[in-house]
Amino acid sequence: MQAAARQGEAQGDGDNAVPGLPFVRLRNISKSFGSVSVLEDVSFEIRPGEVVGLLGENGAGKSTLMKIVSGEHAPDQGRVEIEGNEVQLASVGEGIERGISFVHQELSVVGALSVAENLSLGDLPRNRMGFVDRNRMRDLARERLARIGAQAIRPEQEAGLLRAGEQQLVEIARAAARNPKLLILDEPTSSLTPREVESFVRYVEKAKAAGTAIIFITHRLDEAIRLCDRILVLRNGAIVSEKPSVEVTRDGIISDMTGKPAMFGYARSPEVSDRKVLSLRNVSDSQHIEGITLDVAEGEILGLFGLVGAGRTELLETIYGARPTTAGRVEICGESACFDKPTEAMAKGMAIVPEGRKTAGILPQHSVRSNMSISSLDAMSPGGFVDRGRETAQSSSYRDSLSIRMSDDRQMIGTLSGGNQQKVLFARALMTAPKLLLLDEPTHGVDVGAKAEIYEIVSDAADKGLAVIMASSEIPEIMALCDRVAVLSMGRLVGIVDRADLSEERLLSLAFEGHA
Amino acid sequence: MTTLAKARAPALRSLLRHREASVLIMLLAIAAFLAFSNEYFLSSRNLLNVGRQASVVAIVALGQALVIIARGIDLSVGSVIGVSAVVAAVVLEGTGIQPLGIAVGLLTGLACGLANGIMVTRLRINPFIATLGMLSVARGIALLVTGGIPVMFTGWAEFLGAGRIFQIPVSFILMLILALAIHILATRHRLGREIYAIGDNPKAARLAGIDLKKTRLFVFGFCGCLAGLGGVILAGNLASADPNLGMGYELDVIAAVILGGTALNGGRGSIIGVVIGAMLMALLNNAFVLLGISAYWQVVTKGLVIIIAVGIDGLQRREDDE
Repeated sequence: MQAAARQGEAQGDGDNAVPGLPFVRLRNISKSFGSVSVLEDVSFEIRPGEVVGLLGENGAGKSTLMKIVSGEHAPDQGRVEIEGNEVQLASVGEGIERGISFVHQELSVVGALSVAENLSLGDLPRNRMGFVDRNRMRDLARERLARIGAQAIRPEQEAGLLRAGEQQLVEIARAAARNPKLLILDEPTSSLTPREVESFVRYVEKAKAAGTAIIFITHRLDEAIRLCDRILVLRNGAIVSEKPSVEVTRDGIISDMTGKPAMFGYARSPEVSDRKVLSLRNVSDSQHIEGITLDVAEGEILGLFGLVGAGRTELLETIYGARPTTAGRVEICGESACFDKPTEAMAKGMAIVPEGRKTAGILPQHSVRSNMSISSLDAMSPGGFVDRGRETAQSSSYRDSLSIRMSDDRQMIGTLSGGNQQKVLFARALMTAPKLLLLDEPTHGVDVGAKAEIYEIVSDAADKGLAVIMASSEIPEIMALCDRVAVLSMGRLVGIVDRADLSEERLLSLAFEGHA
Repeated sequence: MTTLAKARAPALRSLLRHREASVLIMLLAIAAFLAFSNEYFLSSRNLLNVGRQASVVAIVALGQALVIIARGIDLSVGSVIGVSAVVAAVVLEGTGIQPLGIAVGLLTGLACGLANGIMVTRLRINPFIATLGMLSVARGIALLVTGGIPVMFTGWAEFLGAGRIFQIPVSFILMLILALAIHILATRHRLGREIYAIGDNPKAARLAGIDLKKTRLFVFGFCGCLAGLGGVILAGNLASADPNLGMGYELDVIAAVILGGTALNGGRGSIIGVVIGAMLMALLNNAFVLLGISAYWQVVTKGLVIIIAVGIDGLQRREDDE
């Protein structure tokens, strides 16, 4: 087995020169879980040195398909061929032995270990005494990080202290270090800064040239079109289109994914009043943000842009009282509002849709209805007892107004798709009738269809007079929604861009201010 | 992923229902076995006795359940039972005022619970360690106050612990009333809903505007207060407050909570399940007495029951994670 695999590797370049023999070929794959059919008759192949983009809404079956390729799931029907031979992978380990590496969307670095240890996990270099060879491990880590252009990460650092984007890079470096013949990347760039994306792209190009086949799951359409040779769109467990990327368009992909024509790209016509809802004067926290001064008016959507680590989340959390303000003044509608805890901020009319749906958003063992009402229990509990009639009425009203798709609001929140879960979190925030809505990466990991709907929710909220602050790392999102954009760099406010001057270049050049 | 979750949801829900049902079935099975093997078991005297034994465990387990649902644990309840009973008895002995004696018992429990809560919320001590410390401190105080010698405890406490209304033990009636009240609190009251929420996902609950510290302080204080009541009842039953009263009770109480289907990692559990769990523990005790099996085996079995219950919980959780 091993010998055959190595031989294959040796021929890698040759295969690349003669495109014809696919590395992996799937034939008529079907898979269902219980009574739910997830994949139906999917056939697909990828050749060495080819980069394929796999697109589709959440729940379309992308992850399941990739889990079958990587050996995590066995198909119910159909065949998997690797280098022309039919195989039945029994585990992920077997897949890795065959040269298939899968970088999952969920981060799985070991937080308590150093970056270097994470990168050598399972194969720690040892010295003659049998102890871990720390120097060698550090050198290996440097080399592995440099390979994907992430040399900025220090190997000695504790992995858990890295930002989400950096953790993602560590995982990619770990997968790349195995010299895989097929590398599967699930949303690899979702938390990366533009600069990190650039180095990552260079790595992809190098790996491609060396004959690595790459499958790319992403929600970022432009990136997929730019990076991939071929784009594959899955919908409801079947492949609905497969085209070379030079032939596809953004709108075409969206309509393939959703079955509907593209819906966003609109601009608002803001009627911003001059009544200030929130004023910050020289606000700092203990370490992440410094001297921030800005105002948000009724009916305004203020974007908060910056690279990962610029302090966007920290600023929102400071405003919201989830993080102590160490200096400066926060005022809400003219009243001083330095809060110690979110409870107080909420009582003064703030609400948040936090970053990290799973970790900081949903209550996973609660129903959809309880998830929506949890912030509004005070208002709907006269005498302390929850008025269940009112709770049900509110829930169904938001279900309609935000078009949250579910069969029953008593079903567990985990049974909804990511986009619908996110809309439930919007319902939770809006139900408190806030004056100021704080949004942190509101469409992270949400499919295109739901994204457009969320943009409408945000825009409607502002039209009704809410002040909105939206932190986002996606420039198209900022461009589509924001009336003004505050750009942070390394914890400081480096500029506020008005709608008229708004452009991708302007935002990025500000965001990089102060960076070497 | 979504489709996977969809497929699993009904199975999971039926499993949850099944968890409560399985304890109930276990309860009935043991009851049926005892009914056949010992004619004395079904006598009303014995059954009422089991009910009385179950009531203290159940009352304390009601508080413990809220703590565990909120993702905490209180190991100190056994010692709090002891110290509350002793302090109440000493105050009663000194003053002779009956209601004061009972009130002091409850307030001592409350004070211990609040101390646990403050350690957890303000000093950020892990609940396991904070309440383990309290376990020792409270027991020590009980011994110091009495010099190790039991104190007489009669009057109202005796009525609570040994009295009967229409043959039914007062403590059992009290337990049922409390269980009903706490069930309503847990399912209908805002506070109950917030307790479940902070156990389910503390970070999300905090950002959703729930005051974590206040809620946690409440559950620990409430649990302590119920342990204090348990102490008064237990001592009243014996008409004497022994400083060693309630030793090892934390095991029965936590076992009752876990057997009743409460998840150790918080966010899930039912009050009715807890009552059934407490009944099961009392029935096991009764079985050993009726069948004449060595009390030492009883100690072994209790430990095994809690390990098996948590083991089942762990197995289920692993399935959930996948």
